[in-house]
Amino acid sequence: MILVVSTCRFPLSEEEFVRPILELVERAGHRYRVRRYYEEVEFEEYPKVIVCGTALRDLDYLNYVESFRRLVEYDGDVLGICAGYQILAIVYGNSLSEVEKIGVRRVKVIKRNPLTIEGEFYAYFLHVYALKEVNERLEALALQDDEIAMFKVVGKDFYGVSFHPEVLNREIVERFLLL
Amino acid sequence: MRVCVLYSGGKDSNLALLKAWEKLEVGCLVTLIPESEDSYLFHYPNVSLVELQSEALGIPLIADSSPDDEEGSLKALYRVLRKAMEVYGIEGVVTGAIRSTYQASRFQKVCWDLGLWCFNPLWLRDEISLLREVVRRGFEVVFTRVAGYPLRKSLLGVRLDESTVGMLESLKHYLNPSGEGGEYETLVLDMPLFKKRLRILESEVVGVDYDATLIIRRAELIGK
Repeated sequence: MILVVSTCRFPLSEEEFVRPILELVERAGHRYRVRRYYEEVEFEEYPKVIVCGTALRDLDYLNYVESFRRLVEYDGDVLGICAGYQILAIVYGNSLSEVEKIGVRRVKVIKRNPLTIEGEFYAYFLHVYALKEVNERLEALALQDDEIAMFKVVGKDFYGVSFHPEVLNREIVERFLLL
Repeated sequence: MRVCVLYSGGKDSNLALLKAWEKLEVGCLVTLIPESEDSYLFHYPNVSLVELQSEALGIPLIADSSPDDEEGSLKALYRVLRKAMEVYGIEGVVTGAIRSTYQASRFQKVCWDLGLWCFNPLWLRDEISLLREVVRRGFEVVFTRVAGYPLRKSLLGVRLDESTVGMLESLKHYLNPSGEGGEYETLVLDMPLFKKRLRILESEVVGVDYDATLIIRRAELIGK
């Protein structure tokens, strides 16, 4: 059972940011449970957690980061997508920068990792905040210009991607589910 | 939240409208009419039919013209959305984008610049399941344009139903089954939100096989 966390303030946004992830999880042969960002969640009950993205103008989830701090004690795997990337970054003590990025951009992998190919790939971005640097608790895995497009939490299988892999890089979600 | 729906009168914008209606308040429809069928961003609706659809829905329509080129299309989109904000106080935009990152990223950018929310409820939908949902939810849809092999002009005026969905599914290696790339276009004559349905009174097929349009000269609203 995979836990999929919605960061969407409006249910209509879930059609865009959560449903495509659920379809990937289902296609990979897993069952899932969906919880909203404002709900109490027992992460420990699930082997993997995916925290989805949301609409560009939707920043309400940033008011609920406290409830995600328990992830530090969590032993499973986490994939944070866009809003989920931002939540993970904050939980591990990093500061977001204002970076407006909308559309397809080229991403450069700078560290070998189990989720992406080596070299470069194209990805779809839709955000107004991202990391430009990481502290010692995160390691940068891929860059898009001066933005950290992908990171890993040191010592954990927690990954953050600032882009939307469900659009052009579904294999990232599929490989995460295989970890 | 009150939203507007980018509306071409075809199956995708109508399904997006239905999904928006179920979860938000729809303040108006917004239609941009390109100069020709070569538009980068917008489908080529018959504006008089969109006006009838707006009447059938009981939802006001803001329609405006748009040049075909990208820069002109975007300027027209900014202009018409500003009008929707002023007249109907909309705070968000709903689109029928399915898979085109080109189209979606431009809509997202325009909305962001204008301070509007952007909703794409059909985003990344499997095209066949989307077509089946349209049929299952009682839409009456006809094909109004075919624009490439292997879609023949005999498809014009034909209903979208289980049989035509099956036909499009069998052709999925040749074309995008949803027609998002302009392979075909549709007109919705009826759907659950319509208070009346459209009836075509006079129409004509123009063009050649694999590149033809159903020109609807006259239509009316009738009771359901």
